[in-house]
This record gives sequence, C-alpha cells and structure tokens, in this order.
Amino acid sequence: MRRSRWAALPAAARIILLSVGAIIMIIPFLYMVSTSFKTATYVFTTPPEFIPDPATTANYEQAFSTGDFGRYFLNSLIVATISTAISLLVSSMMAYAFARFTFRGKEAIFRVLLLGLMIPAIMLIIPQFILAKNLHLLDSLGGLILFYVAGSLSLNTFLLRGFFESIPAELDQAMQVDGAGAWRRYWRLALPLAKPGLATATIFTFLACWDEFTLALTLTNSPENQTLPIAIRLFAGSGNNAVQWGLVFAASVIAVVPVIIVFLVFQRYFVQGLTSGAIKG
Amino acid sequence: MKRSRLIAATAVAASLALVATGCAATGGDEGSSDEPVTITFWGSYGNGGNSAQQDVLNDTLIPAFEAEHPNITVQYVDVPYDDLLQKLTTSAAGDELPDLVRADLGWVPKFADLGVLVPLSQAMPDFQELADATFPGVLSTNLWKGDYYGLPLDTNTRVLITSQAALDAAGLDAPPATFADLEKAAGTLEGTGISLFADGGLGAWNISPWIWSGGGAITDDDMTTASGYLDGAKTVATVQMLVDLYQAGQISTGITGNAGATSTAEGLPGNNYATIFDGPWMNGIWADQFPDFQPIYAPIPAGDGGSVSVVGGEDIVLTASSKHQEAAMEFIRFTQTEQFQMALVPTGQLTVIKDFGDEQVATVPYLKVFTDQLATAKARLAIPQGSEVDTILNEELVPAFEGTVTVKEALGNAAKRIDELLAEQ
Repeated sequence: MRRSRWAALPAAARIILLSVGAIIMIIPFLYMVSTSFKTATYVFTTPPEFIPDPATTANYEQAFSTGDFGRYFLNSLIVATISTAISLLVSSMMAYAFARFTFRGKEAIFRVLLLGLMIPAIMLIIPQFILAKNLHLLDSLGGLILFYVAGSLSLNTFLLRGFFESIPAELDQAMQVDGAGAWRRYWRLALPLAKPGLATATIFTFLACWDEFTLALTLTNSPENQTLPIAIRLFAGSGNNAVQWGLVFAASVIAVVPVIIVFLVFQRYFVQGLTSGAIKG
Repeated sequence: MKRSRLIAATAVAASLALVATGCAATGGDEGSSDEPVTITFWGSYGNGGNSAQQDVLNDTLIPAFEAEHPNITVQYVDVPYDDLLQKLTTSAAGDELPDLVRADLGWVPKFADLGVLVPLSQAMPDFQELADATFPGVLSTNLWKGDYYGLPLDTNTRVLITSQAALDAAGLDAPPATFADLEKAAGTLEGTGISLFADGGLGAWNISPWIWSGGGAITDDDMTTASGYLDGAKTVATVQMLVDLYQAGQISTGITGNAGATSTAEGLPGNNYATIFDGPWMNGIWADQFPDFQPIYAPIPAGDGGSVSVVGGEDIVLTASSKHQEAAMEFIRFTQTEQFQMALVPTGQLTVIKDFGDEQVATVPYLKVFTDQLATAKARLAIPQGSEVDTILNEELVPAFEGTVTVKEALGNAAKRIDELLAEQ
C-alpha cells in the first residue's frame, strides 16, 4: 500500500527529498573532514568554510606524532577485532541452541539473557571493575576483550536467533537423517545461511567495541593499553582548556577509516540482514 | 547455556559482594625509604592536546625529583579531566586508587568523606609550615571536619575581561571598577546590540564573585547555615541588580542556561558582549582561535564588599591505600617548591605560594590581575555535595531571572535547600 503510493511520487520529488536527507546526514561528516585540514585560527570562521583555505596537514602530523597515537590505534584494532570474532562465535552458538534445541527453561533463560540489553552499561561499571581486579585483568587488553564480548552477547544472540529460526527446519532434519551431528549442522548449514545476520552482528559489535570509552577509561591506566577513544578524548580536553578542534577532528577522521572499511566489506549483507531479522525475529 | 548463565550469575553475585567490602580499605606504609619504590600519580596535566604542562612534568620535574630521590620512581598517568572523577570513584570502590591524585579542589571533601584520603595535617609533621605559605582561599578547600586532606597544587580565579572595542562602545576610559560603573555602562550600551555581560550559568563559580563583591555571603563562616546569608539584604540587592540587567537585555541568556547563546569565549572577541568573568586559560584559547583579539584584564567590579573573586584550581591528595606514603609525601613537598611551581607558570598554571607571586608576574605579565585578585579570592563551599549547591542555585535563580518569582523568594528557597545539605554534615 505504502509502497505503491511512494512509487507514484514524481521521480524528481523523490530525488530532491532523498538528496536533502543525504546532505543533512553528510554535512557533519564533511565538516569534520574539512576542519581536520584547518589551522586553529580558521576553525570558528563565520560563515563556516567547507573548503579549508589555507589547507594544512599539520593536524594529521600532530595527531600521529603526539604520544602513542599509532599504539592506541593498534590497541583498538586488536581489541575490536578479537572481541568481535569471539562474540560472534559464542553468540552464534548460543543463538543456534535457542533456535534449534528444546530444553527445560529455554524461554526463561532467553529472557534472562535479554536483561543484558536492558541494564544500562554504566550501572555495571563498579562490579565490572572489581571483577577485573580480581581476575587480574585491570590495565590489560584481555580485560577489555572479556567485557566487550560479555557486553555484546545479549544483542547478538537475540539477533542471530531470529536468523537461525528463519532457516527451514527441514534442512536441519535432512542433514540429521544423513547422520550430521549438531556441530556439523551449526557449522556447515546454519552459519553459511545466516551470513546476512552474521554481517549485521559483526558491524554492530565492531562499531561498539571500536567506540567504547567508559570501560576502557576505567579499566586501563598505562598508555600502552589504552584505546583510540581515550586518545581522542585527551586531545579534546574540556572546560578550562583550549580545544584544538582541528586536531580532534583529524584524529576522528583517522578513527573513522576502519569503521568505513568494515561497513564496505559487510554492507552487501547488511541491508538484507536488517530486514530479514526484522520479520523473522 | 545454563552453565554460562550460572557462571555469569555467580560472577555478578560475587562482584556485588565485593562492592560491599570494597570501600573499607586501609593502607599500609613501608616506613623505610631505602628500598626502590614506584609511586603513581593521576592528573589531567596533558589535557586538550596541549601537552605543554605534561611535558614539563614528565621531562623536567619528575626527572629532577627522581634525581634527588634515587630510590623513588614517579609514574604519572594522564586522565581526561571530565572523566577523572568517574575513574576515581570507580577506583575508590575497587580499592585501586593511585598513591597521589591531582584533584579538582571541589572533590577533596567528597573523597575525604569517603575515607579514602590521608589527613595530611596529621600525617606530615611539617604540614603547617607548608600550608602557611599558600594562598588561604585555595588552602581552605582542603579542610574537611577539622583536618586538611591535601595541599594546593595550582590555582586560578576569575577576573573581569573586556576589550577596547567594548570599552569604546560603552563610553568608558577604563574597565568598570565598581557596580555603579557597570550600571552606567549598561545605559550607554542600550541599543548598540552589545550586551553588558555574559556568563554560562548561575552556579557558585558564576554567581559567587557577584555575591561576595556585593558584600553578601552564601553561608556563615562556619558553614552551618545559608538562611540569613544567601537571602540576606546585600545578596538580594546584588542579585536584583543582575536580574534587572538581565531583563533589560544587558546580560546574555546563556546565564539562564540557553545553550544556543553565543559562548563567552566567542562573544567577547566577536563584540557581542562587553564584559565577561573568566580565568587565565582564556588567553591561550584566544591566542589560537582569535589571534587578533587583545583581551583587557581587570579586577572584578567592586560593590559594598570590595572586589572578591572565586578560587579554582587543583589540590594534591594522598590516598589511604597508598603503600608508599612516605615517598608520596616527599613528592607532595616537592610540588610546593619554587622549582615545581615556577616551572608550570609559563604553561598557564598559577602558583599557590604567596611569595612567588611577584616572580610569576615577572615571568608572565598578564597574570598580574589574576595574582592580585587571588589575594582576596574565596573558595566555594567545601562540602562533599558541592555540585548539588550549583544545581540548587541554578534551579532557584533561573525563575528569578525570568521574573516568575522575586529574588528574595528565590534566594530564600535556595538557602533552605542548602541548609539541608549543611545539616547532613
């Protein structure tokens, strides 16, 4: 119904509307990129300039030469990649069990798992800190990975369960008749067919781990173990200090690159993933 | 599946039990100072991408201290300023505080009240001598229930800042020195599109200089009651003057929380505002972003109480869980030396030692007004709920500025609510 009315709109109006939407979305991003090439003097010019004149790469040079920016970047990459891989593996196994097995208390346990989505992360910060301390994981990348994986399990399991349930059970039964065990059905059948779901979960998880700030700030102390959001926060400063916006935006542009790469790699599954999850969930 | 949830549930239960016991930490002291020790020090010196202060600390000051004390290594950890309080609170609950913290002066009573700090006035035999050398306003922020829990590390204060363009528009030869000068300038500025004054809120940091300079007070000297002081005649008269100016359009709406108002940092160079109150850091901000702007610094305009500003800055505190308290106290003594204090002056940190004031002005001339202002500047209420005082002042005063309640009524309500906080002490 909605779809046919939409299609009836003149093409020009559609294009204009979409262009306006796209421009609104892209302007802050362009502004970030443009500011990252400006010197401090030109950041606050009115009206805002989108093409920096004079342009400078000094902000990028400073970002890379200040402290251990490369180290922070690498730490973020390690933490986000490993956390995403472990989280995807564990949550897809959990989701498969919820989708295909029947056991006592299944729905009750699933709802307990969903509580993880409902409790604000900041409420867990002190228990997590104490847990990390007692596991001797304070000030280590391992500690961050543990909590990032734990934090992403609820959403990913919820998301993937819907995907696995949408795969016809007959396929499973056919494989079972041929003698395939549960692991084989999960690994050879369910995972390949749930690629859009896995891609969606990968993008969400990677982005969440890449951007995470509060836990990283709380659990790590030494610069060797800190991640990119902390580096950018230290650049940004606050209150009493002059914020070097050019520098902050240069660091942010650098930080956005891996996220764009992850999106580009997984995007062809992503849109499909969002919709199929929505209907079958 | 069941097992993983069981493990998780056990972990949550265990962590909650640990939170309950986490705060009851006590520290030890190794006594003998010959063994090599490492002390950790958390602060926000490197904040803002401007690493000048952190570089001085890491490259000059800490090596100098370590050369004098070969058995002590100092490890400085830089934490973003806005997030330091949260990190400290979490670490205090987990009993993982560093040895030393450069704490905002508003945080000292809060952490002293939690029992995680060492009362330096008891632990350091030479405390009185060190304390006497510092400015009284900033020293007082370390006092909690009869003991001093820290020493001032660096300080700042707010002064009046204006520009030649603004003075010309307001028909003034010199920056307004009294409340009367200000009110006169407001008349001249009418219709020019320039507001007389701008500020970013009505918290204690913002409103105290007005109240004190007007001869009023927030509480009695012993901090037992706000009623009769915050709603006293002189405070009411001062705030009434501000409300009248606000309603005449002479004070920017930023003061009542309009986030869309031009910020003071942009509005003064942009000639939207004639005067603001702000700190010494603005010099560096303008030098970067508005290199042509020449700020003019002057004392807070005087009312019946003289020219009295508000003290800001940081204190250095020693945590009760520190295992190397003697070594940490040696570092605290080092922070009070001329070498330490003067090395940070060129980076925008004002010294807390009275005797170094002249040397400071000789090094960085624009700090003269700030240094003079500090001699009479006072501290905000040093209680653990300091931030609640700001909330109360904002909540009660905004309606007065908007004209929905009288100033007397607003201040009376604020006083009653602050009385409740004081009664909890």
